[in-house]
Amino acid sequence: MTAKIPRSFKLMDELEKGEKGIGDGSCSYGLLEGDDMTMSDWNGTIIGPGHTVHENRIYSLKFHCGDQYPDAPPTVSFLSRINLPCVNQTNGRVDPSKLTCLSNWKRTFGLENVLVDLRREMAAINNRKLPQPPEGSTF
Amino acid sequence: MSLPKRIIKETERLLADPAPGISATSHEDNLRYFDVIIAGPDQSPFEGGVFRLELFLPEEYPMSPPKVRFLTKIYHPNIDKLGRICLDILKDKWSPALQIRTVLLSIQALLSCPNPDDPLANDVAQHWKDNQDEAIETAKEWTKQHASA
Repeated sequence: MTAKIPRSFKLMDELEKGEKGIGDGSCSYGLLEGDDMTMSDWNGTIIGPGHTVHENRIYSLKFHCGDQYPDAPPTVSFLSRINLPCVNQTNGRVDPSKLTCLSNWKRTFGLENVLVDLRREMAAINNRKLPQPPEGSTF
Repeated sequence: MSLPKRIIKETERLLADPAPGISATSHEDNLRYFDVIIAGPDQSPFEGGVFRLELFLPEEYPMSPPKVRFLTKIYHPNIDKLGRICLDILKDKWSPALQIRTVLLSIQALLSCPNPDDPLANDVAQHWKDNQDEAIETAKEWTKQHASA
């Protein structure tokens, strides 16, 4: 069995990775408050994938990593309005049962996986042309 | 799960023969994860304070260094707002010949000798360089406020 990394060191690794930027920069995340020693609240952004209704839009999200993270997944909400089947249209909350990486959460996953999965949802065949609320509107 | 013999030995020795002003106890459900307490060294701005830290031995230990973080807020040029520590032996100067004990002793020594020329918390380091007396006063106040036993 491998060493089980505690919550805070896992989150610190994620923070360092997030600060460096992930991949092509289409997804990013960081701590909401730079001095939050509990590292519970995070924000994230997704740049809408090309050749979809989301192209060139920038979406803001927030995460909450509870005490049980990463054994339990984070809670995820969109701050920017978006029309996606996995997003509650009243409050922006991502329904964990409708997003693969949340419903099949593993403790090796991180916030990056959630952002990448959501961006993949935006580009999915059934979602890429869904009518969207005006750009810049918020929940 | 089998814990490498080296970690078992180190844990035993930390308990049986603790370094002065330092305690380290592993979690029952994760023997690579330690609760650490370091007493603020005498003659330092942290004197009288009790500082809590957490330490984790990654899978690669001892080929990779332990991960360590302050849980108690501290005003120190080499420790940032999240409790991360700037110390060479935790990074490129790590050697498998070092141990948990030596790491904790080095952190204790860092409390006695803040090094504003190799800062992690830039604003604190600047304060230390511009007005050392005042920075030390702030460090003492923080110790009283956040690190009282």
